[in-house]
Amino acid sequence: MPERRRRASLGTSSVVMVLMGLSLLAGCAKETKVTRIDPGVVTDLSGRWNDTDSQQVAETMVKEALSYPWLDNYVKAKGRQPVVVVGTIVNRSHEHINTQTFVTDLQRELSNSQKVTFVAGKGEREEIREERREQAVHAREETQKSAGKELGADYMMKGNISTILDETDGTKAVFYQVDLEMIDLESNVKSWYGQKKIKKVVERKRMLF
Amino acid sequence: MAPALCFMKRRSVRQGTLAVLLLLATSGCATSVNRYALIDQSLMAGDPSRAATIIEKAKDEYGSESRVLYEMDRGLVLHLAGDYQASNDVLEQAKDEVEKLYTRHLTTETKAFLTHDAKQPYEGAPYERTMINVIKALNYAAMQNWTEALVEARQIDDRLNVLADRTSQKYGYRDDAFARYLSGILFEIAGELNDAFIAYRKAYEEYRHVGSWSHVSVPASLKEDLLRVTDALHLTDEHEAYKKEFPNVVWRPAGETKTLGQIVVISYNGRSPHKDDMFIDAPVSLDALNLVILSKTMGNGQYSNPNRRAVDSVLYGLNGHVVRVAIPTVVAQKTQVAYGQVKAVGSSGTYTATTQLVQNFTTLAERTLSDQLPGIAVKAVARAVVKYGMAEGVGRGAHAAAGKDTGPLVGIIVGSLAKAWAVASEEADKRSWRTLPDEIQIARLWVPAGDYQIQMQSTSRQGGIAGRESSRTISIRGGEARVMTERVVP
Repeated sequence: MPERRRRASLGTSSVVMVLMGLSLLAGCAKETKVTRIDPGVVTDLSGRWNDTDSQQVAETMVKEALSYPWLDNYVKAKGRQPVVVVGTIVNRSHEHINTQTFVTDLQRELSNSQKVTFVAGKGEREEIREERREQAVHAREETQKSAGKELGADYMMKGNISTILDETDGTKAVFYQVDLEMIDLESNVKSWYGQKKIKKVVERKRMLF
Repeated sequence: MAPALCFMKRRSVRQGTLAVLLLLATSGCATSVNRYALIDQSLMAGDPSRAATIIEKAKDEYGSESRVLYEMDRGLVLHLAGDYQASNDVLEQAKDEVEKLYTRHLTTETKAFLTHDAKQPYEGAPYERTMINVIKALNYAAMQNWTEALVEARQIDDRLNVLADRTSQKYGYRDDAFARYLSGILFEIAGELNDAFIAYRKAYEEYRHVGSWSHVSVPASLKEDLLRVTDALHLTDEHEAYKKEFPNVVWRPAGETKTLGQIVVISYNGRSPHKDDMFIDAPVSLDALNLVILSKTMGNGQYSNPNRRAVDSVLYGLNGHVVRVAIPTVVAQKTQVAYGQVKAVGSSGTYTATTQLVQNFTTLAERTLSDQLPGIAVKAVARAVVKYGMAEGVGRGAHAAAGKDTGPLVGIIVGSLAKAWAVASEEADKRSWRTLPDEIQIARLWVPAGDYQIQMQSTSRQGGIAGRESSRTISIRGGEARVMTERVVP
């Protein structure tokens, strides 16, 4: 009998300990977990267009654009670097893509290449002109910047992002195509045409246990 | 009848206790009825912002299983309130949730199987999922953000293509004529004529394909659109074919319309259908058959009343030989609106257009349910059998556990409670996107550039005035488009 009682009390105490342990664990669990990672690390979570796509496409395409003969030809003919402005990147895809971040990535790559002179785009120019107008009224004369001295662009880089979707139960293939072109602002000649493709397959499980 | 009455007297004391417990089990549906009554009142009073507040306050009542429904209900009233960005944010969340719900969890499925289908996460009927994109597209269109509106139009195309691949019923909901038509309008406004033509053509084919059950005929404006776009794209064969099909349709060429401003009015008429329970009580003994007949005679078949349902559950639980199966039914709330008259009054003149029916949610809900019914019924019967078996087992287990003296009494009480719970917990999944209207009608008109007062007045099916007249002022340039929405409740 005492042996049986000891076993019973051991059993009861084990259950209590397990329950206590579980409640402690539940108390420690956090709903939100934050981990800092290198911005260069690829983070494909949903399969949608993300920062990695934007950065990689901008980097590859700008490098490609600047490696083509139109640039050398221009420098030889004019004796200076061409002035480039980034125009509109049209979103023709199935996703709500923030094209502004892609435009910024393109601008950064163009600027940092040091092979072209890069000027501010349409929206930014408006802000800068407004600042000049204000300077003309409020700033000291020797510090005022005069109008009519802007550098006109020789080329405009513009393009679009489009997608083709193929989907069946639980599996989706997304094909992104980014088309960029460098257009001569004087002659409308398309001096360079680049294309970058990305293909992703997103799979979802139908049942989880 | 006599044995059943006698049976009721013997157990009258226990009925009270059981009734209280089961009233609690069946009272959940009453809150959603009250909530939607308040939302309808706010919409009828022309105050969608108040409806949005009511929904936000009821977030907990919706519960985690109905998160998508909460977002759909809220997204639509925010759209009606003109808070387009907030509506888009909420509906985007709903879209993401629906995508996640593709993966089912065994524990959730088991829980729903053992109680009722409303315990499953709500992912919306296929037509409701399409409407998430449609409302988002209209939000972007109202903000004149055509690029993003077209993203939704492309998603609609993808969604409907996948739906057509998945759906086996040849004449069921496997495409959406209205969603296609709206996509066509948006593509045309954005200057994507080829995409517009594809969408218009698909809309035309779908309207004809499902006309027999959707009760929506091909809108006259769609015929004009097909003629205009095929002409603009120089698709001579198609244009000639449409000309033969619509010999009496008067249309304006694209060269003429592109110099004018375009006004598109979307009118949401009436209230969406809702769902109710239809209970099938199957007696498994003669005594139980008498009880079911008695219950129906006494008026306990009024299933929307939770008190009546609780009484049923008590009686059937005590009898112990009645199996209940719950099936949803669609309850139509047909709109009184026949059509709306849109008038654009400007300095260059007055231009009018009449709205035309483009979407009928009542027939869509009925068709969707009829397509799903075989699956729902099989599951409901299987669940009822399992619940009955479990209740029997619980009663016998309690009998054995209580020992010789009190065993029979405990067994009867526990068994009765378990069977009453099995009956009371049986409920059909009555959830649906109830802030949607009964019908959508559309009017398109082209006007010269200028300032206009846009007035709209609806006419009832009896020929009188329906709802209140709305009026707003707009300024439009040549080649521009304005998409505006109206909610007419009666």
